[in-house]
Amino acid sequence: MQFAGYDPANYPLNQNEWSFPVCEVFHIAGFALLIGTIFIVDLRLMGLGMKRESTATVLKGTAPWTLLGLAAVLITGPLIFFSDPNLYMANASFRFKITMLLIAMLYNWTLHRMVANKPDPGTLGVLVGALSAFLWASVIFAGIFIAFV
Amino acid sequence: MEALQSLSFAQALRESALVYPIIMSLHLTGMGLFGGMIAMTDLRILGLAFKGTPVADVHNQLRAFKHLGLTLVVTCGLLLGISKAAIYWPNPYFKLKLTLLLCVTIHALVFRGSVYSHLEEYDRTGVIPGNAKVAAVISLLLWFSLVAAGRWIGYWEPAAAE
Repeated sequence: MQFAGYDPANYPLNQNEWSFPVCEVFHIAGFALLIGTIFIVDLRLMGLGMKRESTATVLKGTAPWTLLGLAAVLITGPLIFFSDPNLYMANASFRFKITMLLIAMLYNWTLHRMVANKPDPGTLGVLVGALSAFLWASVIFAGIFIAFV
Repeated sequence: MEALQSLSFAQALRESALVYPIIMSLHLTGMGLFGGMIAMTDLRILGLAFKGTPVADVHNQLRAFKHLGLTLVVTCGLLLGISKAAIYWPNPYFKLKLTLLLCVTIHALVFRGSVYSHLEEYDRTGVIPGNAKVAAVISLLLWFSLVAAGRWIGYWEPAAAE
């Protein structure tokens, strides 16, 4: 996928010095909310926290805030991407991040949610929670490594 | 500051192609962990999340992981900061971040006695007083500002010497 003829100099976010960092700040705060709330559900699935509530209750309590965090990253992400799409597309860590993000999102809103809503997720819940935490942590790592590869 | 960053572990961290980004990633992952906990606790106090669950339950049951997340963030932060101490020290955003860290510490000390140790009481009466909500709002604002200051560190460049 090539964005031939695309000139980053024309991009609105590149016209001043602060709009790009502002986008990034909301991207970080957004993923802290998105991934932080998912981590809370994962901890509960792994039997490590919020044990007085059922996994379903923990999922229900965090769900709207997970969505808000998701909205924030899915809005700021593309805004950041389109500031220099060819640069990002050429970056292996970026491509890995998007792959992991898609897998993590699919996983979260299918298997993860299904298992969390069971009355007693048990050992399956532990595994599902652990995998979820790992998938989302990979997205963060891949994001940081974009600047380092 | 030069002395700090010339410690051998600091040099190794700064110059390594892999370890520095790994520590940075752990710093951010810790922020995700810690941030989620702080957000949920404060949002619960504001009556915006986990409405069916007692405030004290939300706060108490997340506390261990909040501390774990904070430990991860602070440890990684210290490692990152020391490895480039002389480079970061002149950076005003770095100093801003340190100031904000001081503010959140003060916030914790100020509100622990008046708010966070009274959560069972709020659950009993069913009423969350104004000062608790103020504490929650300030907490959210401070942590958001910390994220912003942290990100801006990377954008500051020292003025060229005249």
